[in-house]
Amino acid sequence: MAQSNPPFMSGVPELLLLRLLNEQEMYGYELVRSIKQATGEAISLGEGVIYPVLHSLERKGSLKSKRKPVRGRTRVYYSLTKKGRDRLEKLRNDWSRIQSGVATALGTASNA
Amino acid sequence: MREPDFNTLATRLLRNGISPRHARRAVNELRDHYDDLVDAAVDEGANSKTARLQAASELGTMDDLVAEMASRRELKTWAKRYPQLAVVVYPIACLVVLPAMPVFVGIANRTALIRWSASLLAAGLVTAVLMLVMQLSIILG
Repeated sequence: MAQSNPPFMSGVPELLLLRLLNEQEMYGYELVRSIKQATGEAISLGEGVIYPVLHSLERKGSLKSKRKPVRGRTRVYYSLTKKGRDRLEKLRNDWSRIQSGVATALGTASNA
Repeated sequence: MREPDFNTLATRLLRNGISPRHARRAVNELRDHYDDLVDAAVDEGANSKTARLQAASELGTMDDLVAEMASRRELKTWAKRYPQLAVVVYPIACLVVLPAMPVFVGIANRTALIRWSASLLAAGLVTAVLMLVMQLSIILG
């Protein structure tokens, strides 16, 4: 059974997808493998759940897709748009802010 | 876990208001993803049945997939996104479109329509000529 993401993971798949697609275009299966690899398997998505996220990002204009025939299968490759790069920058900043906030809180808590 | 039934998944997505374009594409992508997972498991030494079950497990349950798609408003049909507007627009659209349907059908089947009109015209002409001949034969005795 695929692992489901706890609620605090909300937004993380989006950040990871945008980050990976910022480097090169990829299709769904490739993206899931890359996320596992990039996070040392610390983050394991329910693999099928990646497609609603990708479709949603495309609908919002952060991604664009194109079909490519590869070994008898039609792959849908996703790549980042200008809007997607802006979104990635924003999510990165948000993540850094949250991360430093939590780190500060944990530091305070452990010092108390 | 059972092997995924992608046809049922497509039906469930549509029933949950997902636009046909997104439903069709998601199902195609999931099917390819599943095939990739099966291939990977086979490459790692699993037999065909085990590979398929493992792939189904990694892909996730159909319930999760449907719930995830259905939770995203932007993937739904416009009628599901704006139900109040749909309630107003659909009846008006029907009032406009239904009377115009014969015209649209005629345009779509114009070859048949032209043939039908030509036959009708020919039949009319033949009838008119026959009636004229009969009329003349009465008049001229």
